[in-house]
Order: sequence, then structure tokens, then C-alpha cells
Amino acid sequence: MEILDGIGQGFSVALDPTNLLYVFLGVLIGTVIGVLPGLGPTATIALLLPLTYEIDPTTAIILLAGIYYGSMYGGTITSVLLQLPGEAASVVTTFDGYQMAKQGRAGPALGIAAVGSWIGGTLAVIGLTLLAPPLADLAVEFGPPEYVALTALGILLVTYLGTRHPVKSLSMAALGLLLATIGQDAITGTTRFTFDQISLFDGLDFVAVAMGLFGVGEILHNVEKTEKAQAVVGKIKNIWPSREDFRASAGPIARGSVIGFFIGVLPGGGGVISSLASYATEKRRAKDPTRFGKGAIEGVAGPETANNASSTSAFIPLLTLGIPANVVLALIFGALLIQGVTPGPQLISQNPEIFWGVIASMYIGNAMLLALNIPLVGFFVQLLRVRSGILASFALLVTMAGVFSVNNDPFDMWVVLVFGIIGWLMKKTGFEPGPLVLAFVLGSILERAFRQSMLLSGGEFSIFLTRPMSGVLFAAMALVITVSTLTALRRRRRSRPATPGEEDLAAADATAEPEGTPGAESVDRDARTPGTGERDDRA
Amino acid sequence: MSKQLYRLGPLLLVVIGVAAALAARGLGLGELSTPGPGLWPFMVSILLTVTGVVLLVIDDPADYEPWTRGTLGIALGLVSLGAFILLFQAIGFLVSAMLMLLFWLRIFAREPWRWAVPLAVIGALVFHLLFVEALAVPFPDGIVFAPARG
Repeated sequence: MEILDGIGQGFSVALDPTNLLYVFLGVLIGTVIGVLPGLGPTATIALLLPLTYEIDPTTAIILLAGIYYGSMYGGTITSVLLQLPGEAASVVTTFDGYQMAKQGRAGPALGIAAVGSWIGGTLAVIGLTLLAPPLADLAVEFGPPEYVALTALGILLVTYLGTRHPVKSLSMAALGLLLATIGQDAITGTTRFTFDQISLFDGLDFVAVAMGLFGVGEILHNVEKTEKAQAVVGKIKNIWPSREDFRASAGPIARGSVIGFFIGVLPGGGGVISSLASYATEKRRAKDPTRFGKGAIEGVAGPETANNASSTSAFIPLLTLGIPANVVLALIFGALLIQGVTPGPQLISQNPEIFWGVIASMYIGNAMLLALNIPLVGFFVQLLRVRSGILASFALLVTMAGVFSVNNDPFDMWVVLVFGIIGWLMKKTGFEPGPLVLAFVLGSILERAFRQSMLLSGGEFSIFLTRPMSGVLFAAMALVITVSTLTALRRRRRSRPATPGEEDLAAADATAEPEGTPGAESVDRDARTPGTGERDDRA
Repeated sequence: MSKQLYRLGPLLLVVIGVAAALAARGLGLGELSTPGPGLWPFMVSILLTVTGVVLLVIDDPADYEPWTRGTLGIALGLVSLGAFILLFQAIGFLVSAMLMLLFWLRIFAREPWRWAVPLAVIGALVFHLLFVEALAVPFPDGIVFAPARG
């Protein structure tokens, strides 16, 4: 039993006191930043990247993964209590969760979300445990053309599924690929686009780019917006849901786990889409759909389960194929590369302690989250008193000091600043930094695989189509492009929403933010003073 | 004219794309069977140019947020970050961090002085201890040496 051996080894890694401490830290930080408005999992992971240099790769990934799925729990708290999603995937929870809170049922809403998240997360880890090894076995056979196909499909799906404007995202992906070519060419040694700057010979530092785009860019964009200080609600009672609540939620939790798991595996899937899909499913199945939006517990249980399941299953393509399914995973991918570990089919045999250790830590982390969330909700709510301006000031200082500590080179601080400006401008102009960073991370892999394929085939592009696996993948790409172009054209003619759940979002005056963004801004529109951009909370 | 201003974004992408494509050609494209160092950047630049051109035509102006007085504030904030980097290289971490925190807490977070000053001083000290003492990061020499020992 290969899997049983593996998971046994994984638990022996994950139960090591250091790793236990880091998984705890990870889920705690994740919950905290999930609650804090204006700081999403992407920004936090970007800010913490320098720290991962100091620690063992397994421990680093355990920490970062904990932050990711922990933030899914934390985002729920603000969605339910304040109608402010702490991170993007919890937008859906505001529909019914906030209504439940208004009816004095905030406790059960948070309770069922925590229980559902735990079930969804754990089921997804089981799926990951079972599915990942055979998938990795399959991928061991992959040659350069398959890698070209896989990487290109990953980038394409992230630009198409996870974002609002595919063409804008695609152009950002192209820019990311271009930025990845800066520095010495690995094959011929020619320096490319370095403008005779010695600091650029090794290329742009991934950490600096990610910290600039996500850390600084996001902080600046949030500082510019006004966020009204919110009144914090009183004591929350009866967190543990009643038997009736459990009966109503059992189906949504079960379906949410399955929906979340499969959407999470898909590149470009992830939290937002899975929770939307689950909400739409539950609404369609309900005997009385009008209850939805008025405090139906199914509308909290399903989506919360789904987003947690998807944040776990999103690790499958990363750990088995070396393809990050979304931006958060791209950052984790980058963290592994920094440590000299290339995630991919070989990971399972070459670094079993990372593969199985991270998986085992997820079982532990999800259990910790349940134990943390039920009794400590009151404490997390207090975090909302932290003012976002103070948070931004300290986060910026940590970014600057942190990026210096990576190479002890002030040049990286300038890179962060420049990419901070770019990130902020992108946010202002509706370009998303996610595809850029993803493409930047995958750029060198894609280029090397492409050039090797060309050498293999003697310059024939047909190599990508004649090999079965890569042929299938390229066919899938063609399908994605055709379908999305057709739907875009049809939507332009009769403006009807096509994605499930989109009408619910539209009703709530919200938009689907990409994975990992702090969601506070998406629903909180009326809290801003339109047009002036002036802060009006504390004059 | 100002209605067309949003097209500057895609236009910039086209300019970058064309410039990069030309530069990549200069690096040597090689043959398809033996790709040179410029081939891949060239292909990517073409993709960037094409998407930029498409965006010039179809992009939705509603995507672009208006420039406000808040925007001006951000520009000021960026200048302050640049100043921090220069100060950091010249006089080390502690004092520059204190000044930067004070500036941000007072100007952007709008904290009153009685909060901004202690937060800035304590914050800078804590991060100094964390990075220099705990993580042993070799920050440039400062004008104030390890005040924790003094």
C-alpha cells in the first residue's frame, strides 16, 4: 500500500513539533488575515515569502498552505457579521450569512460554516491523497511537448476562468512571460533585456515582483479607497448549530465538498467559482428558492464547504504536474522554486517528505481550524477594530525590510517599489496582476520546454498535435478559446449572465474578484464616497 | 479627448510589445529547428502586441477608475517609499523606519499624534529587533546602533 506508507510518513513529518507549530501559525495567520479587511491571502503570502528562506521547504509550504485554507475560514466571519467578505471567496456567504446574523442567528451561521469547511477540507484532502499519486505516475511519462501543452493550458485557463476580462488577462500573461525572459538565457548564455544592469543578469527576483504587485500594489489600492469604520456587533451566542440546522445542511455540505473538489482541481477554478457554483446548485435544488438571500442556512453551508474543499484540491495540479491552479498556488510554487525544489511528477518520489508532509499537515490544520473557530470567534471579531491605515503602514515596512533580507540587496527594494506602482496602476485600470505573476513563474519552464520540443521535432509544430497527451491538451485549449469567444459574442448580443450564480452576484451589486484578493471592496460599494475618494471615517 | 484617455493603457502595452519584439529580433531568432535566444521573447512580444491592439478596440472604459485627490496622495506615498529606500541605504533601518511609519500613520492612516508617535517608535524598534537581532539580516550600518543594548 503505497499511499498508506506515504501518509504514514507524512504524519511523521507533520507531527514534528516544528511543523506542528508552523501549521498552527499558518492557520492562525490565515484566519486573522481572512478577518482583517484589506489584506488577502495573496498579499500575506507574498509578504511572508522572504521568511520561507529561513526555514525548511516542507515547513515553509505547510505554513503557506495553512494561511491559504485558513483565510477561507476567516473570511466567513466578516461576511456573516458585517456583510464584508474578508477575502474574495466569501462573497457568496454575505447573501444568506448576513441575513442570518440580522435574525440573531450569527452563531449557527458561523458554526455551520466552520463545520462545513472542516468536512469539505478533510474530504478534499482524502481526495488529494488518493488521486495525486496515480496522476503523478501518469505525468512521469510527460516530455517537453506535454509540458508546453500543460503549462500553456494552465495559463490559458487561469486567464479565462478566474478573471473578468480574458483579453486583458491574456495580455498580462504575455507581459509576465516577457518579464520572465529578462536575464541570461539558460541555453545560450546571451543576456536579454538587461540594459547592461548587472543586477538584472539573474533576472528579476520572483519574490520582489510578487511582493510589489500583490503586497505594495494591493495595499496602495486599498489605502486609496475609503473604508468606513464598521460597528462591531455584540456577543455571539449558540455557535454550535442545532440538530435541525445540521439536517438542513447535510446535503449542501456533501454536494459542496464534491463541487469544490472538482472546481479546485481545474486551473483557474478556486474559491470564488466553487462557492458560486455551490450556491447556485443549492438554490436550484431548494423546494422554496425564495428563502435564499433571506437567511437560508443551506446558502451558507454549501458555499463555505465548497470554497474550503477547492482551496485544498487546488494543490493537486501543483503537487503532481507542477502547474499552479491559481495565483496563491503560483506563489507557493515560487516559494518551492526558491528552495530549489521544482514541483512536478517527480516530487512524490524525490521529495516524499514535502509531498506527504504537506498533505498530512492539511488533515491536522483543518482540525485545528475547527477547534480554533468555534470557541474563538469572539476574539477574531475583535480584530475588526484594527484600523486598516495602521495595518497598511506596518505591512509596507515589513515588505521593504523583508525583500531586502532575501538577497541583502537594496536593488530588490526598488524592484518592489516599481512593481508596486505597476500593480496599483493595474488595479486602477482593471488589469489583473494574477495572470502576470502566474506567467512569470511558469515562463522559464514554458520557454525551456518549447525550445526542447523544437529541437526534438526539428522545428515542426506538429509535434504538439501528434503526441496523444499534448494533442488532447491542445484540443482542450482550442475548445476553451472557441467556447469562451462564442459565449462572449452571444452575451454581447443579449446581455444575459452565463456563469451559474452570476445573477446572485449581480443582485448583490458585487463582482467575482479573482482568487486571493481581499474581498472587502467588492460589496462595500456604498461605504465609499463616490467621486471624491476622500476618507470620511475619521476626519 | 479625456474620454479616450483610457486607451493609454493598451497603447502602452502595444509600445512595449513592439519594442520588445524588435529587441528580440536583434538577439537572434535562429531557426525553428534551432531556436536562438530571441525566438521565444519575440513570440511572446507578438502575443503582447496583438492583445494590446485588440484591447485598443474593445476595452471597456468603465474598468478604469477615475483619478482623484486620493490618487495624488498615493503618488506622495510612493515618493515617501522611495525616500525610505534612499534613507535606509544612507542611515540604516531604525531611524528611517521610524520616519516612514510616522509619515504613513499620520498622513494616510490619519492617526492623531498621540497614537502615531508611539506606534512608529515601538514599531520600528520591534522590527529592528526582529530583523537584525532575531533573523540576523545585515542591514546597512545605521547612525543609531542596536539601541536595545544601550
